[in-house]
Amino acid sequence: MNGRERVMAAVDHREPDRIPIDLWAERTVVERLQQHHGLPDREALLRRLCVDLRYAMGPSFAGQQFRELDGGMVQDHWGVVRRPMTVEGVDRTGRAWSWTYRHVHCSPLEQATTVQEIEKYEHWPSAEMWDYGQVEAECHAARQNGCAVVNGGDRLDRTAQLKPATYIRGLEQFLSDLLLQPALAQCLLERIVHYYLEYNRRVFEAARGAIDIFFMGDDMGTQTSLWVSPKLYRKFFKESFRSFIDLAHSHGIKTMYHSCGNVTALIPDFIDCGLDILQSLQPAAMDLEALKREYGGHLAFQGGIDIQSTMPVGTPDQIRAEVKQRAETLGRGGGYIFCTAHNLLPDVPTENMVALFEAYLEHGSYAQ
Amino acid sequence: METREVTKAIALRLYDGDAPGVAQLVQDAIDQGLAPQVLLNEGLLSGMDRVGQEFQRGELFVPELIVAARAMHAGLDLLRPLLGSGDGAVGTIVIGTVKGDLHDIGKRLVGIMMEGAGLRVVDLGHDVAPQRFVEEARREGADLVGLSALLSTTMPMMRDTIRALTEAGLQARTLVGGAPVTQAWADEIGADGYAADAVAAAARAKELLGR
Repeated sequence: MNGRERVMAAVDHREPDRIPIDLWAERTVVERLQQHHGLPDREALLRRLCVDLRYAMGPSFAGQQFRELDGGMVQDHWGVVRRPMTVEGVDRTGRAWSWTYRHVHCSPLEQATTVQEIEKYEHWPSAEMWDYGQVEAECHAARQNGCAVVNGGDRLDRTAQLKPATYIRGLEQFLSDLLLQPALAQCLLERIVHYYLEYNRRVFEAARGAIDIFFMGDDMGTQTSLWVSPKLYRKFFKESFRSFIDLAHSHGIKTMYHSCGNVTALIPDFIDCGLDILQSLQPAAMDLEALKREYGGHLAFQGGIDIQSTMPVGTPDQIRAEVKQRAETLGRGGGYIFCTAHNLLPDVPTENMVALFEAYLEHGSYAQ
Repeated sequence: METREVTKAIALRLYDGDAPGVAQLVQDAIDQGLAPQVLLNEGLLSGMDRVGQEFQRGELFVPELIVAARAMHAGLDLLRPLLGSGDGAVGTIVIGTVKGDLHDIGKRLVGIMMEGAGLRVVDLGHDVAPQRFVEEARREGADLVGLSALLSTTMPMMRDTIRALTEAGLQARTLVGGAPVTQAWADEIGADGYAADAVAAAARAKELLGR
């Protein structure tokens, strides 16, 4: 059984030979693991760790250029200015680390007051901006490794609604618009959804059947609850979410959706829209046992290993115990892919990551 | 209209996120000569209290909280000049997201609920260095300092900030919160309080103030 067969069996709620394994990590973390194992590149590392999925970036890397501004700031293809931030620290084992991430610095349409201003915005991206020529080759290269091919672009062209809307309009202003200026919010979302539908249609056509899983990511949850009420979700977001899924399914592609936080209250809506795999499963935010019990028959899961505490500050024994527990609950009857709830960050000790991947193999087997 | 009816109407408009409506009612009440402190406590703060309770019960969400807060500010802007020194506040809290962390919204929501609980809030924004917390807490005569972090990578900066406040000899009590933050972490770094959400944070702040 190769990685692709293993993943697709799990997504179809069947037990493969073992629980499939995925890796989500910041680039510098991947490089540190490569060095630790003495391996030359990312692919060699993924094979060594028995990772069953490969992420194809689609057309993103074909000439995407951000406008560079002063102070290391960049303007992305949505016209949003992002600011770099470097954090430094020392992990549990005494290793010093440094990490740079980018965050929205200012939102270009925050001051807009009319629908016309939204419509006339000069930075709306277009599906024409990309070159789709390499998509098929990239997906095939991944599939030749015997792995399931996931397409989701990078974080800036990963299909979403709430995230880009808040980047462009500002988080507080957009959330306020949903209640007080719904026409404005609707206009913003329509532009975003129209772009993604056309962009994804071209990606799927260019891939010619070589994508197994279409991956979306849009944070709808906070640590304790939802950003917006289920009622507002249904009014503004749900039907577009369904249209993204329908498009993928019409190309024979399964769908995976990432959301941080506690999205339990929306899961029946996700299932109604036809979602195949829910990603993240932040264990401090959701009751994973209950999720599996109530929704495991309809929805597969990916994630569930805690990155807020266990991975950065836990011990290898605690990590093994958590992996074992996830295997026993989420892994039951298939429908589960091992992964951390989000990217492994540079504050995670190397020995913890080694323990994680060893535990995946130790506890993931379905053999009696 | 009787005072009670006026304050009830203000609270209702605030609950609905109707900022112009709140401003109009508050201005009319001021013109009628109603006591500013009563309009604040029984109108604005009472309305925010209901919003906060329903938010904590999962009946209201972030958008409702934001529009209610904007309505509260529309009223507060009119009342502040009339409230005298201290703006009629029960205490002062200096809040910010710690150095290295650019995440703002969780801390903003905490600030909203602190104001809703009657505190004067000085929001230092995000990426706030320990020394700046010290300087601003001293300048503002803060009773409390609230520290926020969204990332496991920036949580250790809370420890550095609390240490800086202690070393500077400040008496202000400290409150910590943010997605990965727990009571155990708060205990470990010597914070005086922890809360899991914005409403609980405001309640904890009032406890620490002895209210």
